[in-house]
Amino acid sequence: MSSPTRRRQTGAAKSLTFRTFLALAAGKTAARATQLAGRGGGTAITGMVARRVDPKILEKLVLDRGEPVVAITGSNGKTTTARFTAALLRGEGVIVSHNSAGANLVQGVTSLAVSYADLRGRLPKGVLVVEIDEGALPRVAPELAPRALLVTDLFRDQLDRFGEIYAVADAIESVADALPPDAALIVNADDPMVATLASEREGIRVTFGLELDRSTDEITRAADTIRCPRCRADLTYRHVYLSHMGDYKCAGCGFERPRLDVAVTSLEVVGLDRTRCEIRTPSASLAIEIPQSGVHIAYDAAAAIAILVGLDVPLEHAVESLASVGPAFGRLEKIEADGRSIVLAFAKNPTSYNTTLRALATEGEPRQLLIAASNTLVDGEDFGWLWDVDFESMAPKVERAVVSGTRADELANRLKYAGLSPRKMIVVEDRCDALEAALHGLPAERRLVVLSGYTPLIELRNEMRHRGWTGRYWDV
Amino acid sequence: MSKRKPPEPPEPPEPTAPESAAATATAPEPTAPTATAPELAAPKAAAPARVPAHPRRRPEEHDHRPLRIAHLYPSLLNVAGDGGNLMAIQRRAEWRGIPVEVTAVEKGETPKFRKFDVVLFHGGQDVEMAVAAEDFAKKAPSLREAVDEGVLIFAVCAGLQLLGHRYISNAGEEMLGAGILDLETRGGPQRFMQHAACKVTIDGSTETVVGFENHSGLTELGPGCEAFGIVVAGAGNNGKDGLEGARSGNVFATYLHGPVLPKNPWLTDRLIEIAVSRAEGAPFTLAPLDDELECRAHDVALAKAMANRGRRTALEPAKLVRGRKTG
Repeated sequence: MSSPTRRRQTGAAKSLTFRTFLALAAGKTAARATQLAGRGGGTAITGMVARRVDPKILEKLVLDRGEPVVAITGSNGKTTTARFTAALLRGEGVIVSHNSAGANLVQGVTSLAVSYADLRGRLPKGVLVVEIDEGALPRVAPELAPRALLVTDLFRDQLDRFGEIYAVADAIESVADALPPDAALIVNADDPMVATLASEREGIRVTFGLELDRSTDEITRAADTIRCPRCRADLTYRHVYLSHMGDYKCAGCGFERPRLDVAVTSLEVVGLDRTRCEIRTPSASLAIEIPQSGVHIAYDAAAAIAILVGLDVPLEHAVESLASVGPAFGRLEKIEADGRSIVLAFAKNPTSYNTTLRALATEGEPRQLLIAASNTLVDGEDFGWLWDVDFESMAPKVERAVVSGTRADELANRLKYAGLSPRKMIVVEDRCDALEAALHGLPAERRLVVLSGYTPLIELRNEMRHRGWTGRYWDV
Repeated sequence: MSKRKPPEPPEPPEPTAPESAAATATAPEPTAPTATAPELAAPKAAAPARVPAHPRRRPEEHDHRPLRIAHLYPSLLNVAGDGGNLMAIQRRAEWRGIPVEVTAVEKGETPKFRKFDVVLFHGGQDVEMAVAAEDFAKKAPSLREAVDEGVLIFAVCAGLQLLGHRYISNAGEEMLGAGILDLETRGGPQRFMQHAACKVTIDGSTETVVGFENHSGLTELGPGCEAFGIVVAGAGNNGKDGLEGARSGNVFATYLHGPVLPKNPWLTDRLIEIAVSRAEGAPFTLAPLDDELECRAHDVALAKAMANRGRRTALEPAKLVRGRKTG
């Protein structure tokens, strides 16, 4: 990594077979067909088709090329952290490819490789930054052999897919244990369970977290780890920063938050627009300003910086690099819709919901709401977690809510029990009709807040794109 | 198997004015009593913020003394949104003018459970369940006393398992339960994760109850208790005998998450009636509410349970079911 090269393509790996080329062609064709049909970015279909033709295509494309892979996993912050990491690396002159659209299951990761490879199976030179779903990690990691593995945090997310959070931690630990010593493991020290991952490992291990002299959150019912991962005694927190993340100590066995290699030492969140923070690295202190809002943004920035520390890449242009990274699609993304304003907010579990709701509350939002949840392979089947979201704090602000998605039923019922009068709610399952209904009744002085899970968010955003209000989600 | 039956709201003793629940975009805001803003305090643990009394509170409703609810281990057994069960009981009681007092009972606390009307005991992950089990042994005598006096207990998943005699894990470790329900649970080889439905009969009326199962324990009922329901879709207690949950007197236990009570208003109302009748020493019937949203949630979940019957809905769950080595 010390001498980043500008040569565009690496030589094709030896293991490529006719089947691989067929898979590449098929995957690329599928992506093109999906895009032409206006059905989205083809971000998952590419990999699905390519793997059908050659199940080993991902490792054939990636493993033998001898270029570093950065893998980012965890419950929250993967997409934003991957964007920060890519920006930081590019800022230091490194060539980067990454799955920017957030398709992070095995198909999505394969899509990334297929779409970046040329028809001869050659990937661009440089670092591949890949976000990987925490449940898919055990299956994907061996096909990528990452040089750096980052674990952002672990929250209960889609229990119907993963079983229990402990099982997810176990699976990640086995991947971390299998890393060679020269690979870097980067962990969020503020998350007790993540902090214990492979803590005895001999290779490179970089910790990051917040080091503020005040709390920015309190323990709520969305918190998952408030017991010591070692002895199960209750943890006490000196400061709570975000849900169960903070500066903790176990009274039982003395386990406490490890020393931070990369630390956010000051933090200021400015409305829905900006985050200013001071980040201490082993070699310098950086005054960062990012055009995105929230405590979680500080975590994501520290995580990305910790990755560069782990890869031993200098941070000469970090301040400029991060200053230009706007929100990923749907992360409090602002869209102008024929003179009306829409804020798109992606929320998929109690913690991401509560984080987003807290950010919106700083501006008295949401008042006019379109809220959606759908059960799909990526969004999960069990929506019981909606009852752990702090909708109670949101309900008094809402003047009108259009409830949408294939699980609009569960969502509407949840909102009723959170104190939102059914008279203020309309249930419109179809996403396009829901958008129409939400905009139709929107008072001139109000903006529309869209709170949604992954699949309905993409559907809504595609509808907005067809209306010419925004670009493609995979291009943001 | 049994035919799908649309859920009926409870037989109305008298008609009430229906609310325009989730009706049209143009429905005017009512000028009549509007809800006041609920407390904004962020919820600590599982105790939800208070909501206002139902705007349709009926003036002729006689004064009730508060319904006292003990919520067991809200910060320990808090997975899968089971806290919604508390919200359902609390709101549906309050909407009928019955005040509710909720007491969180955590590790290390042993109140006299007979002083409560309802005890809620929810599910948790294996590690948390083990922590709860150790503590629960100290609570069990007081809880048994409450059961003898007819206090209503509603338990889900880990709560069901710990009300039984014992839980024997795959590794052969034994966790003792309270022995309140005549049942025993063993760790199983797979995790049941799917929408599920069962037929439940309470006081002679039968309804379909829906929820989401997520458990690997296999439970067998002894002769001392009956099933909570008869499986319509899903695995039930063990995937074999077609029984779901357990019941003995006023002790109700189920594997259904979801959370189960908000989308089964019929069940919630029966539980409230049992608790209030016992507390007031006279039979009590709740006035019906507009349950359009609740019934819709029920029907969608039921349709999913029926469509997924015999199929696992989760993605690759089997690879991730081993427990984390702890302690």
